[in-house]
Amino acid sequence: MNPGVPERARHRPGRHLAVLAAVVSLQAIAAMFFIGDALADLASEGPTLHIALEALVAVALAVGLVLGLVQLRRTLERLRAQEAALDIARGAFATVIAAQFDAWGLTAAERDVAMLALKGLDATEIAALRGAAPGTVRAQLSRLYGKAGVSGRAQFAALFVEELLAGALTPAEAAAAAATDAGRPQAGARPS
Amino acid sequence: MAEPATAGRDGPPDLWDPVVRIAHWGIAAAVLLNGLVTEDGGIAHVWIGWAMLGLLALRLTWGFVGPDEARFTAFPPSLGGALGHLRALVRGERPRYRSHNPAGALVAYVFWAMLALVSATGIAMTGTGPVGSLERNTAIETQDWSTLDLSEGGEWDEWLEEVHELAANLILLLAVLHVAGVAVESRLMGHNLLAPMLAGSRSARGSPDPGTPPRMPR
Repeated sequence: MNPGVPERARHRPGRHLAVLAAVVSLQAIAAMFFIGDALADLASEGPTLHIALEALVAVALAVGLVLGLVQLRRTLERLRAQEAALDIARGAFATVIAAQFDAWGLTAAERDVAMLALKGLDATEIAALRGAAPGTVRAQLSRLYGKAGVSGRAQFAALFVEELLAGALTPAEAAAAAATDAGRPQAGARPS
Repeated sequence: MAEPATAGRDGPPDLWDPVVRIAHWGIAAAVLLNGLVTEDGGIAHVWIGWAMLGLLALRLTWGFVGPDEARFTAFPPSLGGALGHLRALVRGERPRYRSHNPAGALVAYVFWAMLALVSATGIAMTGTGPVGSLERNTAIETQDWSTLDLSEGGEWDEWLEEVHELAANLILLLAVLHVAGVAVESRLMGHNLLAPMLAGSRSARGSPDPGTPPRMPR
């Protein structure tokens, strides 16, 4: 399963970057004109104070441009790192959920129902989606809650929310989580 | 240096970063305009040439300070690598690289060398920077040559012009080869190279998972 990120969440920072890149590109063109002009003046008039100042501005423009590019690279990499971290978290969370379902010994049907319940659907909605009788789904849900040792859907979902908040979301920690019955990593496995 | 966020990715980016794309399409537009549209040596030709040089400098700087896949170290020039890539394509393989494929990389380096050469000879001919060439053209238009120094040697200028035109024609030829190469690899091999340079994604990565049930109101 791959709960898709909303498209706009991925593209909005991209657009921001594109505007920055466009400004930097204009700067590059402007700097090239300025440097060309300064060099031409230097060739035709020789070194004067005016040209020395022009050369200083040209150098400042070029240095500013390089620094702007470095800054742009950092922003780009930060955005990518965030996206990668989000993917890892999402993947690890799916691993935690699957490991927990294994630990509870859920049947295939119960796993499906449990996943839909985690996504916030109630018994009637799950029954409609699965083409099953609401009574069947309710029975599956109560067996599920019994195996998980919780009183209802809210508490069931809270088990996994707690995983998220505890930060046990690297694959290694997910494996550690699978090894314990309560679905929580041992105190030692968690970074203090 | 810290491990890049894209480490472990087995292919080039789904979308090239904006600096690479702006430089690519900006230079492409400048080449087409100056090669096919503007009057040789005219004022527009010279200004477009300087703007192109700015974008070229931008891209070359980005090759040192840009993200991993835009750096020169990610696609070193290699004739053997380029031929190897073409042989692999003929064999029906679809090798993946983290940046440009070796054939594309080689074309890029030849492009850059030719663009630098065409800029250098162009500047040597106009000689006076972008603003200076404006003065020169004003002189041509008004038939007032008094402001200009016309002492340059004729033979040297002719030689510069020859090199300039040769390099420019080579760039146009390379552009045709480049477009053909991209078309062949994208169409015949089903390996879309165009989308990452435009705005789209290379694969269906961004498409929503059809198995995800619709979110219900609480």
